[in-house]
Amino acid sequence: MAECSEISMMLGAFEDSELEPNEMQEVAFHLARCESCTGILADYSTLGRNLRSFAPEPSLAGFSSAVVARVDRLPQPVLTRIERFLRRQLDSVGSGIAWGGAAAVAAIVTIILMTPLARQFATRGTQPAAIASSVSNAAVAPAQVASATAGEPTMADNDSHADISRLESENHSVAVWSEPRRDTTVIWLPDQP
Amino acid sequence: MTLRPGSLTFLIIVISAFGQAGVSYAQSAPTPKQVYVYVDSVMAADTNEGTDPRLGGMDKRLRGLFGFSTYSLVGHNEGQTDCGKMIAFTLPGGKILHVQPRAIDADMIAMEIVLFDGTRPMMTTDLKLKNNGTLIVGGPRYEQGMMIISIGASTGGPAPMQAQSTPDEATTR
Repeated sequence: MAECSEISMMLGAFEDSELEPNEMQEVAFHLARCESCTGILADYSTLGRNLRSFAPEPSLAGFSSAVVARVDRLPQPVLTRIERFLRRQLDSVGSGIAWGGAAAVAAIVTIILMTPLARQFATRGTQPAAIASSVSNAAVAPAQVASATAGEPTMADNDSHADISRLESENHSVAVWSEPRRDTTVIWLPDQP
Repeated sequence: MTLRPGSLTFLIIVISAFGQAGVSYAQSAPTPKQVYVYVDSVMAADTNEGTDPRLGGMDKRLRGLFGFSTYSLVGHNEGQTDCGKMIAFTLPGGKILHVQPRAIDADMIAMEIVLFDGTRPMMTTDLKLKNNGTLIVGGPRYEQGMMIISIGASTGGPAPMQAQSTPDEATTR
């Protein structure tokens, strides 16, 4: 097994997948057994993510308003100007109503979903059902246990949909599929012949 | 866009209601940082031996997804780790699984999963898994069949549906 001092020199390149295959194997083998090197690798990984997050993105703030302002400054016929004026007046009245409506809906949704009072009501509604089901389970005779187990929630009842953003494999026959009825995502890596 | 005084007052009231509700919600539901990871290793084959009873509720799901006649639990591992900290599992057949939760966003757990065959990385994936959700990785040959690895993650509370077996050890780094 390679020494930590040798492996630590290769960790940066390992994180970037820049090592030769035999070196990748050696580092992976060492990492599976060495906490200290795994910690260093985690630091490299965090550092890399942080550096990538600092990459500057050009700001487009004010771009659209500048374009609109430029277009507005272009000479317009009198009829168009009158039409725009009227439309602006109508928009201001309409936006007031829209804001009021949206705020009312948001307030109602907030009150229903987020306040502690509402959650107390929700909990109060579910507790008796949970107690009732546990009582009924306790009352099941030993001979019926097998059939009762079949009625328990299964993995298929869990919502386990996965959102995969990256998938890398040396295997060229990787298959990924979802089973919507079971909310399951499967990654299939058949062995290469 | 202009706002009438009446609408503005109403908007202020709504924002206050939102703020108060949000604060009380945040106080009552702290963001979890620990992630529980559950790994079941199942050998699937066409040897007509039926399903291992220790698989419990997994039986239905496996039969619904794959067409094998034999499912046998060959390993169960579980462990807990913090966001940003990798947890490693040693699986049957010389496989090693690294799971590193990255972030918890609402009901989703972002994580990186690396599966090694001995020392060779077989698969690396970044994904967001639903809290208490399960990802199945399968395909590698194992004994007379194939290995199916069920990976579940949870931010706390009871484990997602898993095999009924004594858990093996896991190491966090």
